[in-house]
Amino acid sequence: MRAAALNLPREDDKTKVNMTLGMIFFVGSWAMAFGSIFLSFLVLRQRVGVWPPEGIALPSMPMATVATVVLLASSVLLHVAVKRGEREAGGVQSLWLGGIALAVGFAALQSWLWLDLMAAGRFHTSGLYESLFYGLTWIHAVHVVIGLLSLVWASVGLKTGRYGSHRLSTVSNIAIFWHFVDVVWIVLFLGFFVF
Amino acid sequence: MSGDHIHPEPTSFLSKYVFSHDHKVIAKQFMWFGLVWLGIGGIMAMMIRWQLAHPGDPIPAIGMFLFPRTDGVLDPATYNTLFTMHGTIMIFLGLTPLMIGAFGNWCIPLMIGARDMIFPLLNMLSFWTVFLGGCVGLYSLFVPLGANEAGWTSYATLSTTIGAQGHGETLWAVAVFLIGASSIMGGINYMTTIIRLRAPGMTWGKLPLTVWALFLTSVLNVLFIPVIGSAMILLFLDRAVGTSFFTPASLMQGGGGGDPILYQHLFWIFGHPEVYILILPAWGFVCDLLSFFARKPAFGYRTSVGAMVAVTVLSAVVYGHHMFTTGLSPMLGESFMLLTMIISVPAEILFFNWLHTLWKGNLRLEVPMLWAIGVIFVFGLGGLTGIYLATIGTDIFLHDTYFVVGHFHLTMAASALFGTFGALTFWFPKMFGRRMNQTLGKIHFWGTIVPLTFVFCLMFAMGYSGMPRRYFDHTSAEWLADLQHMNVMATHAALLLGAFQLVFVYNFIKSRWWGPAAETNPWEVGTLDWTMPTPVPYYNFKEIPTVHTGPHEFSHPALGDDRDWIPMTEKLPG
Repeated sequence: MRAAALNLPREDDKTKVNMTLGMIFFVGSWAMAFGSIFLSFLVLRQRVGVWPPEGIALPSMPMATVATVVLLASSVLLHVAVKRGEREAGGVQSLWLGGIALAVGFAALQSWLWLDLMAAGRFHTSGLYESLFYGLTWIHAVHVVIGLLSLVWASVGLKTGRYGSHRLSTVSNIAIFWHFVDVVWIVLFLGFFVF
Repeated sequence: MSGDHIHPEPTSFLSKYVFSHDHKVIAKQFMWFGLVWLGIGGIMAMMIRWQLAHPGDPIPAIGMFLFPRTDGVLDPATYNTLFTMHGTIMIFLGLTPLMIGAFGNWCIPLMIGARDMIFPLLNMLSFWTVFLGGCVGLYSLFVPLGANEAGWTSYATLSTTIGAQGHGETLWAVAVFLIGASSIMGGINYMTTIIRLRAPGMTWGKLPLTVWALFLTSVLNVLFIPVIGSAMILLFLDRAVGTSFFTPASLMQGGGGGDPILYQHLFWIFGHPEVYILILPAWGFVCDLLSFFARKPAFGYRTSVGAMVAVTVLSAVVYGHHMFTTGLSPMLGESFMLLTMIISVPAEILFFNWLHTLWKGNLRLEVPMLWAIGVIFVFGLGGLTGIYLATIGTDIFLHDTYFVVGHFHLTMAASALFGTFGALTFWFPKMFGRRMNQTLGKIHFWGTIVPLTFVFCLMFAMGYSGMPRRYFDHTSAEWLADLQHMNVMATHAALLLGAFQLVFVYNFIKSRWWGPAAETNPWEVGTLDWTMPTPVPYYNFKEIPTVHTGPHEFSHPALGDDRDWIPMTEKLPG
């Protein structure tokens, strides 16, 4: 770690708690946003009766499973990176970059899911199932993009020494956001592919 | 990046007044922003009232400029736009920025003894997001086919492409989303600040009730604004790209088919907490102001806090009373009715605490005190009429009539407005270092409360007689023709009310720049904000103070004869 490159002071415990608390409230707020979207999903699904609708092309279950595993793995790498950073151990940057690579992999798999469904002639205007599938994954994808940009931002900071073991709050908060994006995807996966 | 260090004061114009991180500057930005929108929303209300009293007549004075194509006469679409945007503007761009944006920012750090908000950058973003939201809302008035016409609730399918073809509705959804995002940013900031940056000795049991109320408001903001955010995203997707979350299958051209009632659920899951978001800060101001100007400790401080917490919790589970007529299952309807009745209990506890604070007090009827008492009066009237709307049997009859309009204007709108005026007149000397004219302030108060009560009480009578909301021209309906004289009276009272607001504008502007200099602590109260010099220095507190006494220690027997109050930083003698 070239932590001292910018010679920034070590952040105190108070700042850490402040930032983490703010992040927790932020995630709580976002959980309510996604909670209401899942509520809409459940209500609409209840209205339809037969679910998933019969006789239409559905998004690929195996590919979605792979995407889920990839996303989970990226979260694990980021988590390990933060934990190692807290212990002031090495390898934080490479673990973080690995997490970003897997996150990009998830984004690619998600795009493949959309393209595959579109190739089968199902678009967001085709029906309620498609409205829900595209609409909800779009909303999730916006958070994936924001998350990815933040991950890259954090990795630049880790490289220049703006962030590091002595100033980890921003990095760990970005990881929290990514875990949140992960949890939202798992709920979407359960809703669309498992139950 | 947090508010517990002293930072150098910015010197350039942009960083000092425009993109400032200073909570005091941001508070003033929110204040001017809210006041301008309050004016715009108020003018819209006057035009709605004009149409109700004199349908088909050109609007005097401003009609020719606003609607030249129709010679100043309102057409139905414009009328719909007016009542829709009046509601949206007053709630999201008028009262929210004023009470939560301006006084949240002003009061929280100064009253808890902090140097700034905990996340100053987020605080700045909060203002500029609501500003952008306001610009989008303003722009939506001028697009082809006009602004949103579906009411401030914008129920589907009035708000989907079935009911509204123009871009106005889409832009409205974007504006509400942006304004909501701003409120969430503010809420996160306020909560974290109050939890983390209280001065030593400022325990939860010593927080001024204003701060308590703003804390609970922030909890509601953080938890329930996201719900309308989601509803706006889904509505936006329905409108902009053709998904079908809220459009029923029978109205879809291709496949699809969603549920319009779902929109109402999402809207009111947010919408009912929202009315408490608007009333809680006003309650907080009233709790403190009554004690400050009755020179007595706030009666039942702990029960007031408990009541506000109870209201905050219960506000999440009463929203169904907005939907009694949507075919809600009777069991669900009765549950919501019961919960709605229960939420009036903590409100009554607060009410009795207020009356008991006044009882045998040494009342100083200054302008802020008048407004605080005014809140008790209008909130009492509005709250009592709420019982009829909480009860399913009477609500089905009164639903969507002017009874509802009268009710929510008294509880949510007038109480919040009076609370805002109370706060504006109370903190004015600290904010600007000048005093407002007390005589003009009293004229403004009486000129507001008398016509306002008259207008909304007439609305109860009209609603009870069956006059529906949102009709363009109810004189065309035979069974409403008898109510016309009441409508005329209500409109004339409303115009009088509007005219008296000009007194406030004059007083506010004149006092802001040319008023006499104010003392440091003109109201003789002990909370931390009044212990500091005027103008408040950039870093607020050079030394973070230590708090020893509660915020409402008035007329304490241990105090000598020379003063009846004690700053929170001093110990009570003996």
